[in-house]
Amino acid sequence: MSLPSIDLSGPLLWFANRGTGIVLLVLYTAVVLLGILSATGRGPGRFVPRFVTQGLHRNLALLATVLLAAHVTTAVVDTYVDIRWFDAFLPVGGLYRPLYLGMGALSLDLLLAIGVSSLLRSRISERVWRRIHLLAYVSWGVAVIHTLGIGTDAGSPWGRWTVLSCVAAVVVAVAGRAVARRVQVVRS
Amino acid sequence: MTWTMRVDWPSCAARGLCAELLPERIHLDEWGFPVVEGTVTPDLLGLAKAAATACPHRALRLVSAG
Amino acid sequence: MSGAVLASVTSFPGAGAGAPVAPSAPAATVRRSLSARSVPRTVRTDPPAQVVATPGPVLLSGVLDGPSLEAHRDRFGQLPQLDLDTVLATVGAGAVVGRGGAGFPFARKLAAAATGRRRAVVVINLAEGEPASAKDTALALVAPHQILDGAEVVARALRTTEVHIVTPLERPAVGDAIAAALSERAAQPGRRDRSQPRWRMRAAEPGFVSGQARAVLELLAGRPGLPVTAWKPEAMSGLDGRPTLLSNAETWAQVAAVLRMGALGYAAHGTDTEPGTTLLTLPHRRDADTAVVLEAAYGTPWVDVLGPDVEQPVLLGGFHGTWADAGVLAEATVSREELRARGLGLGAGVVLPMRADQCPVAVTSEIVDYLAKASARRCGPCLNGLPALAEEMRLVALGETSASWTRIGELVGLVDKRGACAHPDGTARLVRSLLTTFDDEVALHLRGGCSR
Repeated sequence: MSLPSIDLSGPLLWFANRGTGIVLLVLYTAVVLLGILSATGRGPGRFVPRFVTQGLHRNLALLATVLLAAHVTTAVVDTYVDIRWFDAFLPVGGLYRPLYLGMGALSLDLLLAIGVSSLLRSRISERVWRRIHLLAYVSWGVAVIHTLGIGTDAGSPWGRWTVLSCVAAVVVAVAGRAVARRVQVVRS
Repeated sequence: MTWTMRVDWPSCAARGLCAELLPERIHLDEWGFPVVEGTVTPDLLGLAKAAATACPHRALRLVSAG
Repeated sequence: MSGAVLASVTSFPGAGAGAPVAPSAPAATVRRSLSARSVPRTVRTDPPAQVVATPGPVLLSGVLDGPSLEAHRDRFGQLPQLDLDTVLATVGAGAVVGRGGAGFPFARKLAAAATGRRRAVVVINLAEGEPASAKDTALALVAPHQILDGAEVVARALRTTEVHIVTPLERPAVGDAIAAALSERAAQPGRRDRSQPRWRMRAAEPGFVSGQARAVLELLAGRPGLPVTAWKPEAMSGLDGRPTLLSNAETWAQVAAVLRMGALGYAAHGTDTEPGTTLLTLPHRRDADTAVVLEAAYGTPWVDVLGPDVEQPVLLGGFHGTWADAGVLAEATVSREELRARGLGLGAGVVLPMRADQCPVAVTSEIVDYLAKASARRCGPCLNGLPALAEEMRLVALGETSASWTRIGELVGLVDKRGACAHPDGTARLVRSLLTTFDDEVALHLRGGCSR
């Protein structure tokens, strides 16, 4: 019996990469939104307990990490385009669409920093952890640019709609948090 | 070994996750800040640890009482 | 009482609470009354403009000699050279307790600092944040070398040269006096030995809470001088995580006295269970801008200290203190143990007898208002609870019947022990003491009256 083989230059890997890419954008948008939601305001959550929101934030981030590994692997293994392993981590020196590929690498590097700092949270100071964690906004923003620049589906109507919704959601959430903060400071 | 929970007050921002996770020992005052009452018995130890880990500002700690 | 009138200890104009830190949590909704009346001001909340130190048996025995190093050495002799075990045994036998308000046994603090693995740090806390207190100020102006001797002997015994002195910015005469005393010591002839302390002076920002131990350590670490949560006592882990022996200025002077005189010599003053003396600050009877500092041996009857004022209600221990009802002190002596048994406390030795125009309820209201404004605003319960408590107390003091006994009790319970420092605890203690000692006065106020 012969093992099924994957044509490493065929479209399968390419579809998998695109699929994981779009899902990752939506997932990370949800992670950012949940992060903002669980950290804004005081007292128990109104509709859903805060620890649930927080737990969802963490678990979706973990899920996204797995998908990110798949996204990177499918890109590297695909021989149709020359993307090497280290291109996933090094923001410069890429061969295929180097600028936008580099953005993906930057986004990933920031995510690594956030992940590691969260795992080691009890060993580092709270202030350091918070500063690194705030880089999530940068990581997400860079990921959006990566999607728009290198994403095959970013040009299609549904692709554009997806990216727009994600960006709009985060903008609204950040604005809401800024307003809530200002109200707090004014009242005290 | 008896445990209790202590709050790092300058860090606490009254988010309320601790009271959600350990209502048996923590309830919130009228301003949203935690009121910790009593010691943490062995059956509540897991929840207490979860409450301490869940605090977004790491303002809650499990410490040995006495 | 004959005394030495000292140079004025001027306050900075507009000295108030330290720079507020933006809180991360909003204030409570404070219940407003229709009246915007405020309680008339009868309590001084600035440090005294002048301090009078009267001669005393031990610490203040050299008041009339002047503060110079020469006069100090003439009267008290050279600095004793003692090893750690001797120091520990002597301060233990002399039962020296902290004079900053908490009354913690000094020997235990010293033992903790000595058993640390890292080299200890010694801190002299002269930041007298309590406006009505002037004993540390008086010591600095009249007998600075007593304070410095105490710290130096202990620093040498701990084999450390790092000694910090924190002075109050709003009492510049204190900083000047210490600086002068340090230059006198530096100018001493003789070869420089390596175990000589390297003195470092620092000024603490004005504010009631800036004299708190952790706030002082924060200041020394280069951060804002405000309280933070202490997970371990500073004698175990303080500045830079090192064992830090921080004590009040008078405590250091008492340590010097007991090491100089020996435990037996020291115990010639005071009582069997409480050897030694303690400094007290009283308001000057005729001049509201002046404070009087006197030294009383433990066991001295209060009538000797207060005279006819012993028949008045007395606030003992300063703004975080307790109320003694009229005449209660007439049967009592200056003794921490005795006072504790009566539910009272000596604190940092501030004694405020009421004048004829002062009502304890109104005075408590004024003080709570001051304490609420003096909060570091770092901890939610204090930031929210103290202003709410101040508002309730204002209503009680003004005799407005919208005030509520239950609400006060509720607020007192909500602020007590829920902060990084003891500021809310002390405020709660003051109000609780008013409610217990003067319950009939408070009840009268709740019905709209006042007996004074």
